[in-house]
Amino acid sequence: MEVYPLAQPKWLKLRCELCGNTAYLKCPDCKVTYYCDIDHMQSDLISIHGKICPLLSSLRTPFPFFLTDTQRQQYAEQMMQRKKHLVDITYQEAQKFLCEGNHRTALPAALHSLRFSIEIYGFKSVELVPAYLALAEANIGLGDLAQAQEYLAQAQWTVLKSSDCGSNIHHKLHRNLGRLYAAEGNLQESLYHFANDVYYASEAFGTDDIRVTGGYFQMANVFFCLNKRDIADSLYIEVTNIWNDHLCKLAKMQLQPAKDTCQLHTVTEETVKEAFDVAQKNEGCQILNAILNFREQAIKQDPIKMMKVLDTLTLFHFVCTDFKKAREFGKRILRLNKQFPDQELPEILPSLLEWIELKLLASK
Amino acid sequence: MPQLLTPEAALFGETHQQTMSALSALPFALAKTIAVPIQQPTITTKSDPKIERIHLIKDKDPKHDVSMDIKEFSKREAAVYRNSHKQNICIEMLQEGFHKSFREFFTLIDKWNALREAGGPGSDIWLLKPLDEQYDKLDQLQQFLTLAEAAQRAGRHEDAYKNYLALANYFKNSGNDWLADHFFQRCFDTAKFIKLDGGKREAEAYANLGLVKERHGQLATALEHYEVFYNLTLGRIWTDGKGHTQHSVACENLWRIYTLLADKMLENKEHQGAIKILIKAFEMAKEGGDNRLKGESAYRLGLAYLSIGKTDAAITFLKTYMAISKILGDNVGIGKANEALSKALESQGKILDSIQYLEKFIEIAKNNNVNQSLVESCICLGDIFNTRGRYEEAYKHFKKAYETACNLPNLPLLEETQVYYGIGQAHKMMMEYCNHTEVVDFINTKFLLEWKENRTDK
Repeated sequence: MEVYPLAQPKWLKLRCELCGNTAYLKCPDCKVTYYCDIDHMQSDLISIHGKICPLLSSLRTPFPFFLTDTQRQQYAEQMMQRKKHLVDITYQEAQKFLCEGNHRTALPAALHSLRFSIEIYGFKSVELVPAYLALAEANIGLGDLAQAQEYLAQAQWTVLKSSDCGSNIHHKLHRNLGRLYAAEGNLQESLYHFANDVYYASEAFGTDDIRVTGGYFQMANVFFCLNKRDIADSLYIEVTNIWNDHLCKLAKMQLQPAKDTCQLHTVTEETVKEAFDVAQKNEGCQILNAILNFREQAIKQDPIKMMKVLDTLTLFHFVCTDFKKAREFGKRILRLNKQFPDQELPEILPSLLEWIELKLLASK
Repeated sequence: MPQLLTPEAALFGETHQQTMSALSALPFALAKTIAVPIQQPTITTKSDPKIERIHLIKDKDPKHDVSMDIKEFSKREAAVYRNSHKQNICIEMLQEGFHKSFREFFTLIDKWNALREAGGPGSDIWLLKPLDEQYDKLDQLQQFLTLAEAAQRAGRHEDAYKNYLALANYFKNSGNDWLADHFFQRCFDTAKFIKLDGGKREAEAYANLGLVKERHGQLATALEHYEVFYNLTLGRIWTDGKGHTQHSVACENLWRIYTLLADKMLENKEHQGAIKILIKAFEMAKEGGDNRLKGESAYRLGLAYLSIGKTDAAITFLKTYMAISKILGDNVGIGKANEALSKALESQGKILDSIQYLEKFIEIAKNNNVNQSLVESCICLGDIFNTRGRYEEAYKHFKKAYETACNLPNLPLLEETQVYYGIGQAHKMMMEYCNHTEVVDFINTKFLLEWKENRTDK
C-alpha cells in the first residue's frame, strides 16, 4: 500500500521502520508501519512484523478519549503491558533466529526488542542489555564488527553503571565481547573476556553446568589458534566431560521408567525442553561436532577421547529424540571398540542402543 | 535510491520523537546490513573544521606531552580494582588456560561456604573468615594449583605431586583440616601416575591418607592404607626428611593403629581379638626396631593376657617389658612392670616372688626419686601383706605410701593412700583387740573401754 510523503500534513514525516528514511509504503494490515521500499518491508515481515503486526495498531494510534481518569490510567496500563509483551516476543524471535544462525533475519527482531525496551524502561536500564547483546551477536555473525562493538560498548557501559545486574548478564556480555575480539583477531583480549564469561557462568549456574561449556569451548578455540594445543585439548576434554555427565543423567532418567514398566515410554519434546532450551541445544550440537572434528583430524588418534566424544554425541541425539543419528554414533563406538578392544565401553550404551532399536522399529 | 537521514532518525520513527535526541550513541550503520546498499553519510568528521581546530590546539599545548607520561589505567586494570580478589584470581587462571585449577579453586570456596552454612552460627567454621577474604590462602592456592596443573599437563606428575603436597601441608599447618584432607587425597590421586620412583610417592600418599582417615576415626580404612604403605616400603631404604627410613615409619604407624584398635576391642571386652591384634602390633614394633614401642606393646600384651587369666604368657611379656625398660633406663616403666608382674605372680599364688619384685622395685624407686611409682608399689606391697594377714608389714608400707604421697601434688592419690593407711592401722590394732577380747576378764574389758573413750594409740 503506497503512501505519498507530500500528501501528509507538514508536521508529520513518515519514516521507514528499519532505516528511518522517508517512507513510501505502508503495511496493508496494520496500517501504522511504514517502509522506504519493498526490500525493507519484506525483511521486516519475514523477521518479526508478521508476528507483531496485529499488536501494533492500537499502540501507534493516538490516545483515545476517555471520560474518567481511571479509564485513562487503565488504558495506559494496558498499553504498557502490551509493550512488555512485545519486548518478550521480539526478543524470543531474535534469539530463535540467532540460534538458527540466521543473523540477517534476527536483526530487525532484535532492533524492535531494543526499541520497545527503551520505550518502557528508558535508556539507562539494565533491561536493554539483552537486546543490545542480541544485536551485537547478529552483527558479529554478519561480520560487521564495528557495529557490534558499538552495541557492546553500550551494553558494557549500562552494566557497569548498574551495580545490581546478575552474573547471567555479565556472562552473556563477556561471551559476546570475547567473540568480537576473537573475530577481530585480538586473541589476548578475547581470552580475557572468555575467562570472565566462564567465571560469571560458574557463579550463576555452578561449574558443572552445560552453560559454562560455551565459554570453555571458545577459549579452547582461541588457545588452538595460539598454537597451545595441550591447553586446547584439555579444555575440549573438560567440555566433553561436562556434557557427557549432564546427558548421562538425562538419558538414565529416560531409560528408568522404560525398565520399570516394560513399555515403550514416549519421549516427548517436553522432556528435552526441560533438559535444555533450543539455544543450548544448538550450541551443544555445534560444540560437540566441532570437538569430534578436532579429534578426527588429530594426527594421532586417541581412542579414549574419541570414544568419549562419540558417546556424548550418541547421548545428545538420544536426548534430542533423533534416534537415527544416535544409532549411527552408537555404531561408530562399537566399531571403535573392535579396533581397540582393551578400552571399556560406556556402561549405559548397550541398553541405550537396545532402546533405540525398539523405538525405530516402533516408528516404522 | 532513498536518502539516508540522520542516524537518530534512522532508528526511530516519526512517532517517537521524544526519544530521539538522547540516542546519539546508537549505531546507525544498521540500515547497511539490512538490505540494499545505501550511500555513505555525506558529513564526515574529517571535514568538520571545528574538530580540526581543537585538535590543532591540543597538539600545541605544552601540557599535552606531560599528560602522555602519566600512566593511564586500562579497562582491565580498572576491572582489577573493581572486582573481588577471588574473581581476579579466577580470571587470571582461566586466561592462562588453567581451567582445572579454576574449577578446583571455585568448588573449594563454594564448599567452604556450604560447610559454613551447614555449621550455622557458633560453629568453628562460622567464626573463621570466609575463604574468599583470606587473600594469602587464595594466593597460595593459585600458585600451587597452577604449578601443579602445568606440571600435570606436561606429564611431570612428580612435580604436580610436590605442589599438592605443599598445599596439603600448608593447610595442615594453618589448621584447615578438611582442606588439607582434600589435598592429601589429590596427592594420592596424582601419586598413582608416578611410576618411575618405584612407588615411593605412592607409599607416601598412602601414609598421608592413612593419617587423614585416622584423624577422622575411620580406623579400618586407615589400617588398609597403612598396610599398603607397609607393603610398599617392605625391603626399601627410602628415608623421609628426618632421617627415618620409610619402613620404620610404616611400622610405627601400623603399630599405633593396631594399638588403637586393640584398645577399642578391650573396651568392648573382646579380649581374644585384642590379643591377636596386639601380637601384630608387637611384631610391627619388633620390625620397626623401636624399643620403646616394643616395650609398650609387650606391656599391653601382658596386661591383656593377665585379664584373661593366662598368667604364664603375661609373665613372659612383662619380663620382656622389664628388660626393655631397664635398657632404656625407664624407671616408670620398670615400676609398671614390677607392679604388673607382682599382680601376675600373686594370682598364681607365688606370693614370695611377688613380694620380692615389689621390694626390688621400691629400692629402685627410692634411689631414683620416682615418687609416683613408689607410692603405687608401696600400696601394692601393703595390699599383699594385708591380704596375707601380715598387718605389721602392711601398716609399714601403707604408712610409707602415705608419707610419700603427702609430698606429691596428686590429691586423689593422697586420698587413696589415706584410706589404705587407715585400713592398715585398723588391722594392726585388730591383733591387740583380739587378744584382749579372747581373754574375757574384767581388766581387759575395762582396758578396752578406756581406750575406746580416749582413742589414743599405745
